[in-house]
This record gives sequence, C-alpha cells and structure tokens, in this order.
Amino acid sequence: MASSSTIAPKLDIDLHVKYIQNLDKKKDYTYHLTEHLRLNGVYWGLTALWIMGRQDALDREEMIKYVLSCWDEVAGTFGAHPGHDGHILGTLSGIQILIMQDAIDRVDVDRITKFLLARVAPNGSVSGDEFGESDTRFSYIMASALSLLGRLDDLDALYDGKGRDLVVQNIVDSMNFDGAFGTEPGAESHGGQVWVAVGALALLDRLHMVDNELLGWWLSERQLPNGGLNGRPEKLEDVCYSWWDLASLSIIGKIRWINGDKLINFILDAQDLEDGGIADRKGDWVDVFHTVFGVAGLSLLGYPGLQDIDPLYCMPADIIEKRGLKKPYFARPRMEQYPESS
Amino acid sequence: MHGIKRSRLSAQAEEAKRIKEQAKIEAYVGLQDDVLARKRSKDYTTEALKKTTDLLDLNPEFYTIWNYRRHIFLRGLFPNTNLQGIVKLLSTDLRLTMAYLQVHPKVYWIWNHRKWCLENCPDGPEGTEGWKNEFWKMELLVVEKLLDSDARNFHAWAYRRYILASLPKSYTPQRSAQDELRYTRKKIESNFSNFSAWHCRTKILAGVWEGLSEAQVQSQKDQEFELVRQALWTDPEDQSGWLYHRWLIGSQPPEPTLRRELESIKELNEAEPDSKWCLNALAHYLLLFAGSPWTETEEADNARKEAKEILRRLAEIDSDRKERYQDLGKPPQVIRAVLMILSFSTIIKLC
Repeated sequence: MASSSTIAPKLDIDLHVKYIQNLDKKKDYTYHLTEHLRLNGVYWGLTALWIMGRQDALDREEMIKYVLSCWDEVAGTFGAHPGHDGHILGTLSGIQILIMQDAIDRVDVDRITKFLLARVAPNGSVSGDEFGESDTRFSYIMASALSLLGRLDDLDALYDGKGRDLVVQNIVDSMNFDGAFGTEPGAESHGGQVWVAVGALALLDRLHMVDNELLGWWLSERQLPNGGLNGRPEKLEDVCYSWWDLASLSIIGKIRWINGDKLINFILDAQDLEDGGIADRKGDWVDVFHTVFGVAGLSLLGYPGLQDIDPLYCMPADIIEKRGLKKPYFARPRMEQYPESS
Repeated sequence: MHGIKRSRLSAQAEEAKRIKEQAKIEAYVGLQDDVLARKRSKDYTTEALKKTTDLLDLNPEFYTIWNYRRHIFLRGLFPNTNLQGIVKLLSTDLRLTMAYLQVHPKVYWIWNHRKWCLENCPDGPEGTEGWKNEFWKMELLVVEKLLDSDARNFHAWAYRRYILASLPKSYTPQRSAQDELRYTRKKIESNFSNFSAWHCRTKILAGVWEGLSEAQVQSQKDQEFELVRQALWTDPEDQSGWLYHRWLIGSQPPEPTLRRELESIKELNEAEPDSKWCLNALAHYLLLFAGSPWTETEEADNARKEAKEILRRLAEIDSDRKERYQDLGKPPQVIRAVLMILSFSTIIKLC
C-alpha cells in the first residue's frame, strides 16, 4: 500500500501518557477557561490511556471522587465540573468514566435515567438540558448512556411505547441525499453528526436504515491526498475525524474504503514528540480531545500495541463485551508491527 | 484547539508568561467564584446580571452562566418589569451575543442564547407583532453578515433556517422560497465550492417541487443542471458540484435526462481525462443506466462493461479508495445473496 514519502514517527506511548498525567498540573489561564469541558476531558484522557494499555496511570479513587463531585442535585445528573449545571454532555462522560472504573453502583442510576428520558421531546428530538437546545449529538448521548446503564427498555416505554421509534425517526429525518447526517432535519451533512447518527441507530438496533453504499462513498471521499480526513466536502483535514468518519466506516463495514496506512501516518505526524499529545494536524498545539481521537483512530486501524476500541461507544472493546453490549463492526486486524513490511 | 500553530517558548519566557498570567487568572477565578456564589444563593438582581456579563465577556463558553443569566431574567427581572422592559432587556442580550459571535462564530451556547431571546420576545406593542418584526429583521441581517465572513459556518446556516421557519406572521416583506433560491444562487456563484449553499438548495427545491407538476419539476431541474454544469466545468475536481449533480439525478432519472447528462459528462471527461470525479460520476451513472427498466439488454451490457473499465481505471488513479472501486466492480450484493441461497438449496437437494 502506498504510504507518504517521509516515514512517520512511531506512536510515543510513554510521552502521551506523561502528557495526560500532566494535564491537571499546568493550571494556566486556558485551563480555567475550559472548565466546562473538564469532565469530558477526564473521559478523553482515561480512554486514551486505556487504548494505550495504561489505564492505571491516573489515580482511580481520585477520579471517581471527582466525577461524583460533578453531580448537580437540582438537575439530577452530572455537570461539566463541580458547581456547573447538569447537562447531557457531562452526563455521558460521567457514566463512561464510572463504567470504565467499575464504579457505576456509586451513582443514582434511576435519577440519571429520569434526566435522560426527560430530554426526549414528543417529536423524537433530544435536548441537552432544560433549556431545550436539541441536536442529533444528544440523541446519540441519550442512547449510549441508557445502553451503558442497561436502561434502554425505559426508552421503549416512553410515549405509549413509541419512544425508540420517535428518536429513530428524528435521526433518519436528519439524513441527507448523500446518505450522511446533519445536526437536525434540514442541516448539512457533517462527519461528527454521521458518527452520532450511525452510532445511535446501531445502538437502537436500526442500522438497516442507513444506506451503507451511499454513506460509505461520502465517508470515503472525506480522505484528502495527505491521508487526513475532513468533516465536510472541501474542508480541511483534522485528526478528530480519524474518529468520527473512521468509526462510522467501521460500524457500516466499509473501513477498507479509505487508505488506512496513509491515515495512520497522518495521525502519527500530528504528535508533539517533545511534550506529548496529538494535535488536529501536524505542527499545531495538542490537546486531550485530539489525543484520544487520534489514538482511537489508530486502534481501529490496527496499529500495533494498542487495545481494541468499540466504535459504537468509543470505549474499550473488552469492557463493552463484558457488559454484553457488543454489536457487529469491522476494524482492521491488529498488526504485529508498523509499517507491516519494509 | 483547532489550527493554532505550536510554538516553543524558552524556559525564561515561559516563566514570564506564567507570572503575567497570574493576575489574569486571579481576577477570573475571583469573578467566577462570585458569580457561582450568587447563583447558589438565587441572586436574580440587575447587579448579578452585570456580573454574568463580565464573566461571559471573558468566557462565553461557560454554559452554566448562560443558564443562570436566563434564570435571572425569568425569575428576577421579567416579573418586575413591563413588556417594553422585557423587550429592552432582550435587545441588550441580542447586542451582546452579536459581539460575541463576531469573535466566536462557532460557539453553540451563544447561538442558543440568541434563539432563547427570540423565543421570549413578547407580542406587542398594542396587539401588533412590532417588536418581533424588528427582532427578526435584525436577525436576517446578522446571519447574512456571519455567512459573509464564513460561508460554510453550519451554525449560521442552521440559524438562518430557524429564523426563516419562525418568521412572525405579519412580517413584511413576505419571504418566499424564491428569495432563498436567489440567496443560495448568489452564494454559489460567488464560490462554486460552497457546498453548504448547494445543500441548502436541495432542501428548498425539494419543498418547492412537492407542489408542482412533473413537467414543471423537470423544467426547473433542467435549469439546475445548467447551473451545476458551470460549476463542474469550472473546477471538475471540486466535490460540491458533483454531489449536487448526483442529487439532481436521483435514483430514477427519466431516460432523456440521464442520456443527456451522460453525454455531457463524457464530453467533460474528454477534456479532462484524468478527472477522478468525472470518472466517478460516469461509472455511477452508467450503472444506473444499465439498471434502468427502459434500457435494452445490449445497451445495458455495454454500459456495464464501460463502467467496469472506468472502475478499474479509478482504482489506479484514485488508489486510496481502490477497495471501493473493486467492490463496485463486483456483481451487486443482491445477486451474490441470491447466488448463495441458490447454492445452498442445491446442496440441500443433493443431500
């Protein structure tokens, strides 16, 4: 398989682990300005560590305590940080972390379920909080969170037994002629929204509503000559689409439709080899968001030495399997070495 | 962090930066603690509102503060003023979020708050929709301005859809689908690569065509083919026009349309023999042609052969996606599934 002209560096796991461990130490101005992403950030960091086989690099008990401290008693769910309002975005991260740390019994699952179900509007759209902004991102979050909590049956019971179908219909209405999905019915197709829509439909056992050939085509055309993937036609490549687009391709069984080696090289090139972490593209500042989606993409692409990731949940595959939640998907087989042969 | 170049500071410069930032951090944290304490104590006063503005000036992504701000309005300020007063307060927030959007045009929370302001605009004055009409008029200008500075901003396109879908009943001049078609056409003609505008056009036209006869639809489609042809000939490597073309063709095009478009693309292919998008479209339309009920067997066979040859070529010139082209060159999955069932039943019979 053709790869780029220069040889990409290897994935520097030790350095990235150190980078993640240090995230909480450098308390600069930006650190304070990004508090609204803190709980997501912990999930991103932990997931990245898990993929790299280093899930113990952060203190488990301290992490669980932090998650529980994000609880918003008024909303009955997690906010982004202590003192922040409960929101569906923080909710999923909190649940994911507690599941990964095997501590979901330490939270009021009934109350979270109630919060999640209250987000579903009669037209099947799903809102983020009481103020009602709705987005197919939140449909995914609701489905993923309920599934992880083992409470999808409660969705079925909503609206005279039509809960699941309403949510599914709203997602399907967000599908465009190109087979891809937007934030809401009428909105332009976008790689991130494709993943949430395809992921949600897969979690809700409605994947057959996706046109795999058409969507696979649209997704495969996200790859640019430099190997990176973009999120929309004629836009720039970005490492985070190495998750959104790639995981979608994996779920619909079309991961072979792009050049995997070129994408591996693109992600590896975006590493900061001095201080660790992965950026949106080569030479830019790194962050934990691009770090997790970079290594998650590498895992799906079969990069050696990494743990398997489940493309529906963006969580370690063995945890999903152990909970009996595994659904079909197609990842590239794990390589012994990269490049495979010289 | 998106698109910010990494640069290294010396240890000394790093330390200087840290010290310089220290005062900024202290001021920020102090303000944040104050606002969150007020929120906890349910302080819904003008003073509290002012503090939330100060904090949002520094960090418009702090969604909790937007929530608090709305609670200050709903629980403290609105109940203590008249409708005119409410409109005045909402106007202030529309101005505020406009200023924020100029710096942060992609922050969801700012757009949300703007929408909330509109949704809370009361009817009036005196039985009219005067206030609402003023607000919506401004919003149309605002969203055009934001789309002028970034024609692909999907937040702005979503907001435009929302504004148009929720126009007050008495709004003048009345807006029609034709206005939107003109707008998207203007956007497309200033940049054929603006897929957001092409996408928007697919939605508007689908709505318009619902109420028209088949002949009327066809005549409008032909105009669209004319428009997209300009884009394809201008830059055959730009995806936007090709995607739109595929939408226009759809899954069951009339025979004359498909024949004409195949001819036209073949012509382009002769001028640009290595254009991948051109070949890609040819392969797809040839297969569509071969599968159409009106195609004679011999023509269909020839089209399939031609498509297969193009797919083979595509696998070479667009090798990143060669596996897709190889899959497309194989017999359709349905046929394979039927073959499998047939072979199973043969085995069963043999047993």
